[in-house]
Amino acid sequence: MIRRIPWWVGGILMALLLLFAFSTFGADRPIGASTYVPYFSGIIFGLDPEKYTYLKEVEHAGAWEGILLLGALFGGFITSVFITKSFRISLIPTGWKKYKNNSVTSRLLWSFLAGFIMIIGARLAGGCTSGHFLSGMAQTAISAMIFGGVVILSLLITGRLFYNTKAQ
Amino acid sequence: MLEDLLGIFDIASSQGHGSVAMIFIIGIVFGGIIQYTRVDKFEKIAGFAMLKDTIVPKMLFLAVGLASIGLYFMVEMGYAHYHVKPIMIGGLIVGGTLFGISMAILGKCPGTGPISIAEGRIDVLVGAIGGLVGGAVFTMNYDFFKVIMGENLGNTILPDLFKGHEDLTILLFGLGLVIVSIAIPKLEEFDEVDLEQLHEEQTHMLHKVKESRARH
Repeated sequence: MIRRIPWWVGGILMALLLLFAFSTFGADRPIGASTYVPYFSGIIFGLDPEKYTYLKEVEHAGAWEGILLLGALFGGFITSVFITKSFRISLIPTGWKKYKNNSVTSRLLWSFLAGFIMIIGARLAGGCTSGHFLSGMAQTAISAMIFGGVVILSLLITGRLFYNTKAQ
Repeated sequence: MLEDLLGIFDIASSQGHGSVAMIFIIGIVFGGIIQYTRVDKFEKIAGFAMLKDTIVPKMLFLAVGLASIGLYFMVEMGYAHYHVKPIMIGGLIVGGTLFGISMAILGKCPGTGPISIAEGRIDVLVGAIGGLVGGAVFTMNYDFFKVIMGENLGNTILPDLFKGHEDLTILLFGLGLVIVSIAIPKLEEFDEVDLEQLHEEQTHMLHKVKESRARH
């Protein structure tokens, strides 16, 4: 079994999956992956939808994406165990050790903080890489192009400032 | 809480966007493609932020370029609909900036994160907990964040700006992105598992070459 597929095979497959999700034979809606977060936050922290109107706004999309997430977790797990054989319990990624540091505390603190900021950012923008970049750009939405441009710029500047990119 | 969690199945399947089984299968394929191409790895997204790996932009631009052309004709023929997100300048700029910063640091996004957790990444699980807290903070302060997001400037798409040349606009956009995806130089940054496997493959290949030489 081949343990990885090249980027262009992945790109073609992802385009076909997007078209299926959009089609009336499929789900007749785009793929998104950040609305499920406030949906689950509401349930886990026991927030009252009557008091917090945002929960009502995201209820439908949140539940839909929640099921998608369960499928993605399952698909990712099966693929990593049986096909790519890349399943490992790990705390620090190889690249973090190489370009940042070897501290577990540092990695976990930064991860928590980045996860926190990421969801605030995605909800402010109304989407993430899946909803805006993939699904939005496929519809040639101007909102997605603004988001994509800002994200790439901010990503590249942060990458340059945050990591020691000259490390070998 | 359990009741709320179970309610997800009814809400998801009662909105005319596919059965629970279909949504779940779309999820499996989504997770499978991302895992099989390795783009859920820190080295791919943070690696792109450092310009040491370009697999993510190559794959994204190719997928979007192809899908934009396919989707346009599917919509024309009535097999799909557009669901365009609104232009809200404040939200897109402030949100996009925060999103880019956190994506470079976490090395994941909300779509690839769960797939990383599924391959055993504890650091990303901690990031997801941070995300859940972020989701709660956003929900509880929605009135404040709404002010930053600004007003809805409409759901414009590219062909709206080139009336009379809709087909050509889509074709140029789609083909342009496909060309960009091919033109971006291919750079790869590996993680330990990939390096191990590459090493195994190479030793295996060398072994084969030696064997065939010995035979001649």
